[in-house]
Amino acid sequence: MMDRLNAVQKTVFAIILAGMVMLVAIPLLFFITVSFSNSTEMTQFPKNIFPSGEVTVYVEPKDDGKYELFYDYQDGSGYTSIITTNNASKLEKHFARQYAVVMDGEEILEEFSRTRTEGAREFTFRKDMFYNFKQFFKIVPNAGVALKNSIIVSLYTILISLSLGSLAGYAIARYQFKGREQINVGLLIVRMFPTVGISIPMAVMLIKMGLYDTMIGLAFLYSIPNIALTSWITSSIFIGINKELEEASYVFGANSIQTFLKITLPMAFPAMAASSMYSFLTAWNDTISALILTNENQTLALVVYKAIGTTSSGIQYAAAGSIVLIIPALVFTFIIRKYIGQMWGGVEL
Amino acid sequence: MHKNMKKATPYLLLFPIFIYYAVFWLAPVASGIKEVFVGMDGDFTLTENLKLMFRSDLFSESVLNTAAFAAISVVLQYVIALVLALLLSRKFIGSRFLMFISMIPMAITPTATAILWKTGLVKDGWINSLLMGLHIIDNPIVFMNAEGFQAILLLIVIDTWTVTPSVMIILIAGLQGLQKELKEAAYTFGANKWQILKDITLPILRPSITTSVIMRMIAAVQVWSIAVMVLGYSKAPFLVERIAFYVDAIPGVDTSTKLAYTYSFLTTIVVLLATVIYLRVSGRNKIAAGGEDE
Amino acid sequence: MSYLEIKNLQKRYTAKGPLIVDNMNLSIEKGEFIVFLGPSGCGKTTTIRMISGLEEISGGDITVDGESIVNKLPRERGVSMIFQSYAVWPHMTVYDNIAYPLKLQKLPKDEIKKRVQAAAEATEIQGLLKRYPAQMSGGQRQRVAVSRAIVVEPRLFLMDEPLSNLDAKLRVSMRTELKRIHTKQGSTSIFVTHDQSEAMSMADRIVVMYKGKIEQIGTPMEVYQDSATRFVAEFIGTPPTNFFDASIVREGQEIYARGEGFDYKVPSSLHSALAGYAGKEIDMGIRPEYIDILPDQRKQDGYFCDARIDFVEPQGSHSILITEIGANKNVKIHTVDHMDIKQGTKVSCHVKNGMVMFFDKESSKRIK
Repeated sequence: MMDRLNAVQKTVFAIILAGMVMLVAIPLLFFITVSFSNSTEMTQFPKNIFPSGEVTVYVEPKDDGKYELFYDYQDGSGYTSIITTNNASKLEKHFARQYAVVMDGEEILEEFSRTRTEGAREFTFRKDMFYNFKQFFKIVPNAGVALKNSIIVSLYTILISLSLGSLAGYAIARYQFKGREQINVGLLIVRMFPTVGISIPMAVMLIKMGLYDTMIGLAFLYSIPNIALTSWITSSIFIGINKELEEASYVFGANSIQTFLKITLPMAFPAMAASSMYSFLTAWNDTISALILTNENQTLALVVYKAIGTTSSGIQYAAAGSIVLIIPALVFTFIIRKYIGQMWGGVEL
Repeated sequence: MHKNMKKATPYLLLFPIFIYYAVFWLAPVASGIKEVFVGMDGDFTLTENLKLMFRSDLFSESVLNTAAFAAISVVLQYVIALVLALLLSRKFIGSRFLMFISMIPMAITPTATAILWKTGLVKDGWINSLLMGLHIIDNPIVFMNAEGFQAILLLIVIDTWTVTPSVMIILIAGLQGLQKELKEAAYTFGANKWQILKDITLPILRPSITTSVIMRMIAAVQVWSIAVMVLGYSKAPFLVERIAFYVDAIPGVDTSTKLAYTYSFLTTIVVLLATVIYLRVSGRNKIAAGGEDE
Repeated sequence: MSYLEIKNLQKRYTAKGPLIVDNMNLSIEKGEFIVFLGPSGCGKTTTIRMISGLEEISGGDITVDGESIVNKLPRERGVSMIFQSYAVWPHMTVYDNIAYPLKLQKLPKDEIKKRVQAAAEATEIQGLLKRYPAQMSGGQRQRVAVSRAIVVEPRLFLMDEPLSNLDAKLRVSMRTELKRIHTKQGSTSIFVTHDQSEAMSMADRIVVMYKGKIEQIGTPMEVYQDSATRFVAEFIGTPPTNFFDASIVREGQEIYARGEGFDYKVPSSLHSALAGYAGKEIDMGIRPEYIDILPDQRKQDGYFCDARIDFVEPQGSHSILITEIGANKNVKIHTVDHMDIKQGTKVSCHVKNGMVMFFDKESSKRIK
């Protein structure tokens, strides 16, 4: 009775809901379309919200054996003349660059030759949907290496944070000792501490250690907040694991290491998985520290960041690159969504 | 187990992170602070670098912008998210789908978010396409020319798009997690919907909202990548944007390194202050609201 | 006309859903203490929530003092309620919790203060007024909830399983406390519980509910000794009533209830009621304390069967004996006279004072 809605309220509710979903979805949709757009579509205005899979051109045969190519920019002026040629390699390049249609030049000419008998007509070609993705890795120097680097630095970060963090988490959860409270507060401060603040002195230190511009050096920085975070998440889980379960294992003759490995660790696994994904996200998403701590060995996020500065004309390639960047981050965020509320101050999801 | 051994166990377990933080956190922090108080000539100085920072280009703008950005965006995001959460907190068909959609903006790598919006904000971008398609405007708007406060507003809008849906999810979770009987009790004792919201729901949720607001503030203070990627360096100066500027855009100059150090120091102080407030607030909440110790 | 009248009350959550409350009719007198008793899902909580105004009704009517309340808001109904979880607001002090309903009524400050003080004294929490709920025990929170409910001086005092979250000892002492407050305040009270001993000890009248329907309305003694249905006989009493499958056999002037392992001569007072059941199967119920055992295996009037005591559970004041009779392997006998009986003893069993109950197999209704 408290929460019953009438018809008007239901309508308003539905409108707000739809508006909310659209506000989030429309920018994403346009963005995805951009990442699949060819150069010609990028110059078109207004832009389409859905990606197209095909390109249509109009071809007119010319007397000198050449063909005149027309394209409709959808701006109301109809077909516009683009080029007149019978050069196969020129056509091949034009189709790839402008339309993301990857086809042998001779084959295109062969197709066009039909206009000799049938007269001027339209031709529709299938776009290579992953053209921008391929181009991103081709154009942007070291993008492939950067992808590998991003994975490596993420793995290092997970490894360091998990091994050190869960040990500390276990100690905090299971033992009463002097300075326990202070350690808790200390860990919170470290967790909140902006990594930017120590990136520059860290760079100096890593140069001395010979670890500058290496992934392990970068991982040392990313692990700083994540060790604290991991120990915080795991300690709350270890507290939750009934001590009697461990004691039962002692009773049946296991030693403490066996108990930890066989009983405690498996039960804490979900929390450890969640904190690993946090570590992953820190390493995967960061740009500023990578900017400071690396030179040649860049990460994918950094490469994408730099790509937008250099290739303002080919923003669709950067968009394709960022799609590659987004997917793992998106997947991992959804896996750990249950824990996100806790990160934000304790509300459970 | 031997008794002394047992006493030492927690310290043994904590030993690795002590070492880690001593080497990789404390040492850089200390040398970072040292750099701030060592002048260009290598001698100790209390204020030289700070003065250098105060006098540097766009210093006051970056401080003001950071403050304005953090304050306005967080307030805006929480107000919108709270209204949405109150409207949508009931259980309905498709609520899981809404959750799914709402999580996406926050889950996207910030670099990618910046590119997403850049493709929209350019003159022939999708925002103008959309607005003109819906006949809201007749001529494309040139967003990229935004300067000063307009630029900040633009970034606030982007940040709001990114963050608000997630804040809404958090608030919805809080609202749904609230024990139903607490509201029903107020209702049976004569409170109307508005009074229940004002006297019961919001005050009970206030502690967790406050702590999450501070967490958001800490993140908002460190804004930089959207600003640089969408508008470019120095168009919308922020504290961390200045650090990146001195490291990335004009590296190698002695003063830029000093300035980067000093800006890092300032950012750290700001964030630590926010952390202290967070600790005090969450500590107080534990006493006042408690309820978890059942 | 009674004070509170419930007429043909119905509840279903969806248009074609099942009836959660099925045509309920009930009259309650002013000042009565009524207990709704039944297993979870029987509709008792739904009913009290419909009375309070937290739940819409799907059919029927509820009147107080001759006036329908179904279209009124809770505050206009003059109800107050104690919830299962206490629903004490965690962000308010005890004082603010108790004062909030009065603040909603916009009473003057000094009157609020006076009434809060009085309500707090009634539950003996006047020393806790400045505390927050988080700093208090479950029992103390319960008292806050009670104070908050009585401070509004309600026409109807509704309690939804208010004691179920307390520990056993506190639960028993709170019963007495609530009864005392009820006696003092005299407000008409409805108390919901699934705990039959709670119901027995507190109620003026018990309303036993099962699957959305009222099984029996009566005083505690009536529902116990004169159960109207098999469900009531089974649900009320610890240990519960022992049931046997029996067939009614007429032999000359006598009627026998016979089954696997027993043969009972039915007292003549029940002859006319059982007249139509000759040759039919019925359910026979005997409460544990109405089975008498004789260790010397004598057969007296009311003889019923022979048995062997399988287990003895001493309770101090009495013992519970467990035995096997026919298909029923878990027959319980409450004994005061033979508390020290040894496990394995062979005995003869008798029905005390003809206290046997017969139930129709189909309708589950009592045959009497």
